[in-house]
Amino acid sequence: MIQKKLVSIVLAIMVTVFLTGISFAGTLTEIVKRGELRVAVQSGAAPYAFVDKNGVHTGSMVDFTKGMADSMGVKIKILDFDWDGLIPALLSGKADILAADMTPTLKRALKISFADPWMYVQTCVFTKTGAGYQTLEDVNKPEVTVGVLLGSTGETIAKQYLPKAKIKSYKGGGRMIIQAMIAGHVDAGVNDDLAVLTALPDFPPNSIRLLDKRLGGKAPLSFAVLHESVNLWQWINLYFETIRANGAYDKNIAYWMEGIEWKKDH
Amino acid sequence: MMGFYFSRLVEIYPFFLKGLWMTSKIAFISLVTCTLIGVILGIFRSGNNIILKRIVGVYVAFVRGTPFVVQIFIVFFILPDWGIQLDAFSAALLAMAIMGSGFICEIVAGGIDSISKGQWEAAASSGLTLTQQLRLVIMPQAMKVILPPLVGQYVLLIKDTSVISVIGVMELTRVGWVTVVRIPEGLMVFSLVGVLYFSISYPLILLSNYLERKMAVQ
Amino acid sequence: MLVDFNFRIIFEYLPLFLTGLRSTFFISLVSISLALVTGVIACACRISGIKILKYPAIAFIEIIRSTPLLVQIYFLYFGLPTLGLRVPEIQTGIIALMLNSGAYIAEIIRAGITSVDQGQLEAGTASGLNYIQRMRFIILPQALGVTVPPLLGQSIVLVKDSALLSLISVMELTRCGQTMTSERFMPAEAFFTVAFFYMCIYFCLKALADWSQRKLIFREAY
Repeated sequence: MIQKKLVSIVLAIMVTVFLTGISFAGTLTEIVKRGELRVAVQSGAAPYAFVDKNGVHTGSMVDFTKGMADSMGVKIKILDFDWDGLIPALLSGKADILAADMTPTLKRALKISFADPWMYVQTCVFTKTGAGYQTLEDVNKPEVTVGVLLGSTGETIAKQYLPKAKIKSYKGGGRMIIQAMIAGHVDAGVNDDLAVLTALPDFPPNSIRLLDKRLGGKAPLSFAVLHESVNLWQWINLYFETIRANGAYDKNIAYWMEGIEWKKDH
Repeated sequence: MMGFYFSRLVEIYPFFLKGLWMTSKIAFISLVTCTLIGVILGIFRSGNNIILKRIVGVYVAFVRGTPFVVQIFIVFFILPDWGIQLDAFSAALLAMAIMGSGFICEIVAGGIDSISKGQWEAAASSGLTLTQQLRLVIMPQAMKVILPPLVGQYVLLIKDTSVISVIGVMELTRVGWVTVVRIPEGLMVFSLVGVLYFSISYPLILLSNYLERKMAVQ
Repeated sequence: MLVDFNFRIIFEYLPLFLTGLRSTFFISLVSISLALVTGVIACACRISGIKILKYPAIAFIEIIRSTPLLVQIYFLYFGLPTLGLRVPEIQTGIIALMLNSGAYIAEIIRAGITSVDQGQLEAGTASGLNYIQRMRFIILPQALGVTVPPLLGQSIVLVKDSALLSLISVMELTRCGQTMTSERFMPAEAFFTVAFFYMCIYFCLKALADWSQRKLIFREAY
């Protein structure tokens, strides 16, 4: 009897713990009903999404999705993850939207649905200034170590274009590659040119340079939702059309991507 | 250069305090839930019901045999497949509860097992029910054996909250990790993180040492 | 969910997991050996009467015990480069594990040594044994019985701690799980397989610990 009592106490505790946390990934109507839009962004990836000096989530992705939440009339909840944790977060229903500088690849599109691109970038190779690498052939050597981001298209592209080099994958964000390069763990890095260029101001000036040759063609960047969130997917496309028309899109890009004004405020 | 980074670090200090607060919240809630569940499991584990003992044994083996970071990934990314969807904070609490209760279960079971059979028999012959035996005779004595390693386990649990940073919870270690990519002064950033952890762990370690000495005298 | 559990994919990734397993073995073995050395040195300093050895040792041990291993790993990983040192990730990880387990081992050894009855030591001295002989015949055999089980326990802890090295992109077992998840988006297959391998290591080490406990208890009962 004592053990029966204890079993029921245990079950009660477990049920309480679960219920306090259960939430439902939803389509547009669910989000509006819930009153909250949950967005998965990458951790510490300024200027896309990061936590500023006041401890507030901010960045280009945050501003875009905050605008979405305002238009929907709901609150916004920003959840941050490592790069390789973004898609699992969306798939496991933790977030409604994946808002990052993610390229829609065919493999990813098997699992999640991408909205229309909000930006185009190209993959680049970057090294330390003065390291002497000029062309791809210089980097494509067995003694060269190239850093890439775990789970990114940079990882796949690097393996494709630099098959002879040693590829090392870093968990976290693109900045981990730059860090690793400065620390001497890798000789070069492969990532989106926009991601590298916008990260440069945080590091000593003129310490990093991009090689001229870009890898692959223009790559789109898109937000993503679950396959079944069809109306949310359409809504996001309409949202971007709207903000391109009314100038909010240009303001966002100009502030976060093209200038460094944001560093003063955040 | 160092000065420049130092001033940025000072600017961002409140962020670290926020992280410390999050760590403390998670730690406190986890300690309570782990202890509650752990005590119950420990009673099962040291009881007479072989089936329960075995089941709890399997649970404990899993918790003690796999790294906490792997358990967190399982709770966070795999449970949703079974219909349990949790946000990062709740998943963190659940993972901590599962892990901590496994360890506390063994401590409690060890404490109860250390009480000689004679005590159980004496209590039973005094006409007490099983619940009363446990509550009035066995547990008070077992507590002396349980308390020092229990407090030691609390310190370990507080430190394990740092692993939760992998699922994005903005606790103290994550704050350090996110900061160091923008302020590349690893020594400064993580010294600060270390000092803040030290401030909440060390008092508990002192308490554990004190309890160990106090209980050993008897 | 288990219905869809894709064993085919797991077999496809098995070579990767075995590479990770081997790497985890290597890292754990090297780290625990180095940690033993570190622990002995730290313990010797700790129990010595020489203040200049004793207090830094105490500080070292208390700092390690009061801060999380992950913070120590990040401290070395992000901090060493700022000192101009270029240490490959795997060595950074091994150093972190060595220092961390070393501190705990120092305490285990210290507990083992102090557990030997003072009376025995006095009897030894009275019988005319010198310091080394006292160590060899009285203290160490008994200390071993008290120390070896917790040491094996610390080894188990270290194997699990090595999983954290995946976060500084060291190729080991947990990193294989992360790689498989990021390539195939199948966290269940990936991490249950990883958990399975860790459980195998755990049961082997636990069997070893239980066996050694039985053997050593025999030795004490003379």
